[in-house]
Amino acid sequence: MDRRRIRVLLVEDEEIHRVVARAVLRAAGVEVEEAENGAEAVRRVRESGAGGGSGAYNLIFTDKQMPVMDGHEATRQIRAMGVATPIVAVSSDSLPPDVQAFITAGANDFTPKPLTKEKLGHILAKFGLA
Amino acid sequence: MAAVALKNQLNAHIASMFAAGFLDKQFQELQMLQDDGSSPGFVSEVVGLFIDDAEKITGLIAGLLDQPVVDFDKVDALVHQLKGSSASVGAQRVKLSCEQFHSYYEAKNRDGCVMALALLRNEFYDSRSKFQTMFQLEQQIEACS
Repeated sequence: MDRRRIRVLLVEDEEIHRVVARAVLRAAGVEVEEAENGAEAVRRVRESGAGGGSGAYNLIFTDKQMPVMDGHEATRQIRAMGVATPIVAVSSDSLPPDVQAFITAGANDFTPKPLTKEKLGHILAKFGLA
Repeated sequence: MAAVALKNQLNAHIASMFAAGFLDKQFQELQMLQDDGSSPGFVSEVVGLFIDDAEKITGLIAGLLDQPVVDFDKVDALVHQLKGSSASVGAQRVKLSCEQFHSYYEAKNRDGCVMALALLRNEFYDSRSKFQTMFQLEQQIEACS
């Protein structure tokens, strides 16, 4: 797949993590859009024409702890819209219960922060986006 | 010639930071991202954000520990945030200090948390000083070229 056509939604409230993840994603040649909390992410997914299918994003990365709406709830709401876009949790909380909570909410995978070139490569390959 | 000497000094300084455990491989990741085409100031931007986060967060933690009743959940959240921030820049010693903090707020031990905060602050101040030297050398190199 031409990575210039891969659209990724990055959901992260802390600027330092957005800056690093943005750089990693852009270096991989993907288009990046950003949301600073779960509610904004849900809105962006809804407005992207999602519903009953894959939506406009090819991949969503989401943090867990965010103001307004956290990553778990955002994941649940995105799935409730019928959006099948792969959702990968990116969080510093990487104990098995934290990972399982995200999977239960509907996430497809989990990777601990920070996002790196290597981790991104594995994720893109896993979801057929490489 | 001056630029070469300064570059050697910078390389030696960064190498010593790795050797002493101030930095881990995440910092190399940032350097590679900068070299691969991110903006020239990418590494300094991330380090600057880390320093701002650490100054703010350690101040907030100190304020929480000063209260008659300590909100250990908030302390937890703040230490967690600083741990993530330090991990993003590769500030290994600060990250490890955050991990060592964990047992004290889990045990709701105020005195332990005060001690852990002092250690965390020392590691942060040392790391900040090392980063500042790094960027001073980079600025001197730029001035020579």
